[in-house]
Amino acid sequence: MKRRTKPWVRILQYVILIFAAIFAFYPVWFAILASGRLGDRLYTLNLLGMFIPTQWTFENYRVMLFERPFLTWLTNSLKVASITTIASLIVCTSAAFALSRFRFKGREFFLVFLLAISTFPGLLSLVAIAQLLTALGLYGKHLGLILAYTSGTLVFCTWNLKGYFDTIPIEMEESAMLDGCGPLQAFILIALPLARPALAVTAILGFMAGWGDFVFASVLVPAPDSLKLAVPALYSLANSMSVPWGYFAAGAVIVIIPTIIVYLSMNRYFEGGLTLGGVKG
Amino acid sequence: MSAWMGRRKWFTVTLFLLPTILAILVFNVYPILLNTYVSFTNRNKFRPNPDCEITLTGLLDPLCWPAFRANAPKGLGKPYQLQDPILGNYDKLMGKLFQPDALKSLLWIMIAFVPLLGVRFLNKRQEKSGEEKFSPGMLWLIGILLTVALFFILNIPGSVNKLMQTGDFLAVVIRTVIFVALRVPLTFVLGLILAIILNIEDLKGKTFFRVVLFIPWGASSVAILLALVWQFLFRQQGTINQIISQFGGTGPIWLNNPILAFGVVVLADIWFSYPFFMVSILGALQSVPSELYEAAEVDGAGWWTQLLRITLPLIRPAVVPAAVLTSITAFQMFGTAFAITGGGPQRGAGIPGATEFVMVYAYKQIFQQQNYGTATAFAVLIFIMLFIATLYSLRVTKMTKGAFE
Repeated sequence: MKRRTKPWVRILQYVILIFAAIFAFYPVWFAILASGRLGDRLYTLNLLGMFIPTQWTFENYRVMLFERPFLTWLTNSLKVASITTIASLIVCTSAAFALSRFRFKGREFFLVFLLAISTFPGLLSLVAIAQLLTALGLYGKHLGLILAYTSGTLVFCTWNLKGYFDTIPIEMEESAMLDGCGPLQAFILIALPLARPALAVTAILGFMAGWGDFVFASVLVPAPDSLKLAVPALYSLANSMSVPWGYFAAGAVIVIIPTIIVYLSMNRYFEGGLTLGGVKG
Repeated sequence: MSAWMGRRKWFTVTLFLLPTILAILVFNVYPILLNTYVSFTNRNKFRPNPDCEITLTGLLDPLCWPAFRANAPKGLGKPYQLQDPILGNYDKLMGKLFQPDALKSLLWIMIAFVPLLGVRFLNKRQEKSGEEKFSPGMLWLIGILLTVALFFILNIPGSVNKLMQTGDFLAVVIRTVIFVALRVPLTFVLGLILAIILNIEDLKGKTFFRVVLFIPWGASSVAILLALVWQFLFRQQGTINQIISQFGGTGPIWLNNPILAFGVVVLADIWFSYPFFMVSILGALQSVPSELYEAAEVDGAGWWTQLLRITLPLIRPAVVPAAVLTSITAFQMFGTAFAITGGGPQRGAGIPGATEFVMVYAYKQIFQQQNYGTATAFAVLIFIMLFIATLYSLRVTKMTKGAFE
């Protein structure tokens, strides 16, 4: 359907979008500019250099990729984040399915309990988790980190998925069940494809939990260099006075790219084609 | 759904919930138990070790577990014991709150909010009785004006200040609440505006803007690194001040001024978090059938009416849980403040800094000062607060009543 839009409304919309786009992009752009500057010159003293690359070198990237264990950190992060994503998606979908499609005693209590328990500051359970993982022999290993991350994403992603499943009318599944499907089969065949946007959001959030975390990774896998994850390793790089800031910026830029790629590859799930029209008649 | 009944249903439900339950027990419930226990002890950097002879310590501290006892790392310090008095850590954090002066301040603050509660009550009653004697908007306006008036008459800032001097707990919590109260609504409004614009079908360049506006979300995956970038933008010689000096002004030293540093942290955190709201709302908007808008248009409903009567109610099931959980996340915001200000600017020795929010304070207590006893007591207090807030928000938003139940 075409709705007529007044010209000034359209202009206002674009003005908002353009300002928001500058706001959204500039900090990343600043990091990109800094990554192309020589030595530790974080600022150029001319204003222009803060908006467009007046000088550019790949020296920082070369050093990061070939003279530092940066690729190892990157691989570690990628590994931990991917496994976390898959694990949390499986666990959350199954929990959200049970919570959305079944009415059972204790269901509401369980949902509220999840929320309530998640209000305990994650950072403060870290000492206990570190001790626990030590006892299990998982301290300083990626598996321990993956377990901690996965359980950290559970509450949010279960609620998210459950909320979305609830908005998918159950009538379609019920009609499939009349045709002989079991509840699980009906759910997988009908509701799950409709829930792709929510699953995509959840997957990205799960990925990010592992990819960008700083505190858990730096406490649970503090050493050696070959096991470190990218973000804490880069943070300590930025904090050490002897390392030029451009190295850090180059590393940070490289770290952002996989995330944006993952995100963009999921982007189509946010596009249209998702309507509740299936319930009609 | 009624296909599986009785035992079969229970079996299925348990099976599907089991991984979640296990993970929650191990990684959420157990740490809470251990934390609560430690909060009654004097564990700190001089007393890091458990005394496994004490029953509860032996049960809760993994270092005491038989499978692990042999190769437990032995610290040099003494074992920790229960505090005497047992609430010592709590007393240190907020003991002064229970003196008459502080309680009076608390009372004044509560009184200032009475008009708002009154308006809510009146509106509820009007709704129930079905007749509108006064328009709800008018009542809210009066309520807000009264609250603002009381704010100045009762000198609320003075009372808040007094409360913040009762100990670290309230100092940190009040500051964090102000942060959340600024950050979450601003993020929501920004996300809603952008989502509504991006949802327009015939908007040119939509894909481009959509990609660019999502960037902070992708970037927030490395929040702590980009927070460093924000810090550089607002340094004394940073981009912002350079722009200001181009126009002949002299920029302030942003991160040394308590209020400005606070603002910078809020701004940076909005930057990190608005795309999530935008995406949630956009996803929900796309499942709103366009027939509804067409019908509304036929009936002559304007844009504003459509927003209030169609868009907002229909995206509610998706947005309300997001808002509640975002508030909880914002309350526990760590990376942004930690990387930008490190909790500073300092206001004096032993006093939390101007942007030392809940988690920054906790982090400093645990990992820099190793005051486990104090930090865990702080965590328990925060937990109780958040617990009550969560239960309350569940009631208010009726979250547990799904849209299609």
